[in-house]
Amino acid sequence: MMVRRTGLRVSGASRPMGLIVRSRFPAPTLTNGDKCVLKGWIDVTAAEAGTDGVRAIEAEAVPTRFARGWHCLGLSERFKDGRPHTVNAFGQKLVIFQSGDGRLNVLDAYCRHMGADLSQGTIKGDEIACPFHDWRWGGDGRCKQIPYSRRVPLRARTSAWTTMDQDGLLFVWNDPEGNPPPPEVTIPRIEGATSDEWTTWVWKEIVVDTNCREVVDNIVDMAHFFYVHYSFPTYFKNIFEGPVATQIMKGVGRPDARPPAKNGEPQMRGNTSVASYHGPSFMIDDLTYHYDDMDLHSVLINAHYPIDANSFVLHSGIIVRRSDKLPAGAADAMAVKLGDFILRGFDQDVQIWKHKTRIDNPLLCEEDGPVYQLRRWYEQFYVDVADVRPEMVERFEFELDTTRPTEVWKQEVEANLARRAAESRTP
Amino acid sequence: MTIRTDNRLLDGAPMQPLSCLQCGAAVGVRKASWHQTSIQWDSESVNACLERRAAAPGGGPNGEAFTGCAALSDSIRRAVLDGVVTVPDAGTEDGQE
Repeated sequence: MMVRRTGLRVSGASRPMGLIVRSRFPAPTLTNGDKCVLKGWIDVTAAEAGTDGVRAIEAEAVPTRFARGWHCLGLSERFKDGRPHTVNAFGQKLVIFQSGDGRLNVLDAYCRHMGADLSQGTIKGDEIACPFHDWRWGGDGRCKQIPYSRRVPLRARTSAWTTMDQDGLLFVWNDPEGNPPPPEVTIPRIEGATSDEWTTWVWKEIVVDTNCREVVDNIVDMAHFFYVHYSFPTYFKNIFEGPVATQIMKGVGRPDARPPAKNGEPQMRGNTSVASYHGPSFMIDDLTYHYDDMDLHSVLINAHYPIDANSFVLHSGIIVRRSDKLPAGAADAMAVKLGDFILRGFDQDVQIWKHKTRIDNPLLCEEDGPVYQLRRWYEQFYVDVADVRPEMVERFEFELDTTRPTEVWKQEVEANLARRAAESRTP
Repeated sequence: MTIRTDNRLLDGAPMQPLSCLQCGAAVGVRKASWHQTSIQWDSESVNACLERRAAAPGGGPNGEAFTGCAALSDSIRRAVLDGVVTVPDAGTEDGQE
């Protein structure tokens, strides 16, 4: 096992850090009658702090395999312009093309003939034609014809991904074991996405140069919403079960972070959010903003797919429900505004990710969310199906005590407002 | 990747066994304070939970998620009041209201 250690040393310390001592302790015996609730053995790092009392940061190498599950590649419309598209994902180059029957297909981009890039080719009927020698590949990954040859050679097959075109989004199923998606592993329908009562998707994407575990961690990270995103959570709960990880969050407005509403404009008072990862990479956030005189309903997508082990594409998508208070034009404008707002949020995360180190042994306080249990849940997507252990998928709930953060943050907001008021009085 | 143990489980309050007073579902419960609660279920307790079996999916795309069992929450509250499930610093500023 590769363990990378980042020694954060106090000045004056001269000894090298003590070696990590990994011990096998029996799991705490938690008996329930005769039933042991915590099963088996657990790895305990006995000496995360060296002999000098300095805690070491530990991180195994980033995984070399990519998560099993549905990954969203973005708005499906984008791929329906009659041309093949290049997508770098799962450590490979892929070609995406719409065949004559309307279906979107995803293949490994490199032609098995002489290695040319199919995404530079052209779509001919139901097939993608290689730009090098016009070999024709079907969406099932098989070579259908070679116009200049009498027959197609044996084993003329490339890797093909299962795709799903749902709610205006293109999904691709990734499974290192090569199995098709089981029927119970699905992405739920998003009703608003196909309804005239809602806006169309405002969709953005950025490339982030770090391993994608960082973005998934956010679903349990209550305090970063205050410090990084200038929101103010007052209720926070996580639920992990099966392939779904949920975050329920309620928050209040941050008057110190946003300009006050102009006269006559409704003031935003708070928000209620139920966000679930459905599998390793696709999060749907059912997000309602509460204003003085109305609720603004939106659905926010936070999705990603890995380019390779050290970079990923991060998508944000948003739709907003139209209402009497928010007719078509105003709802569209609001969706655009929220889209920009979310993109700013991503930039705030990126600033942190760019400079941080990977850490497998975060040192948590009681007001942090369940990072370790989230990682345990996330691990199910990185092992073979046969190796998914019960503790990775068993239901776990964590309700955070926001008493102390709420107190402290109220004071901080007040202090910021007071400082701003003092500054505006200073000539 | 090695699945590690939460440092708070090693250094703070432990998971404690508890059975729901309504359905008997056996879960692990941890309370770091009066308002903080962790609940570890397994497939048996999930199947035993009456509220969960009766739950209809809520609205919205994440409506399938079962947000929690009120009877189990009551059972936990009772267990804390009875001292069966311990809460660190209960009665102090960080503890019980």
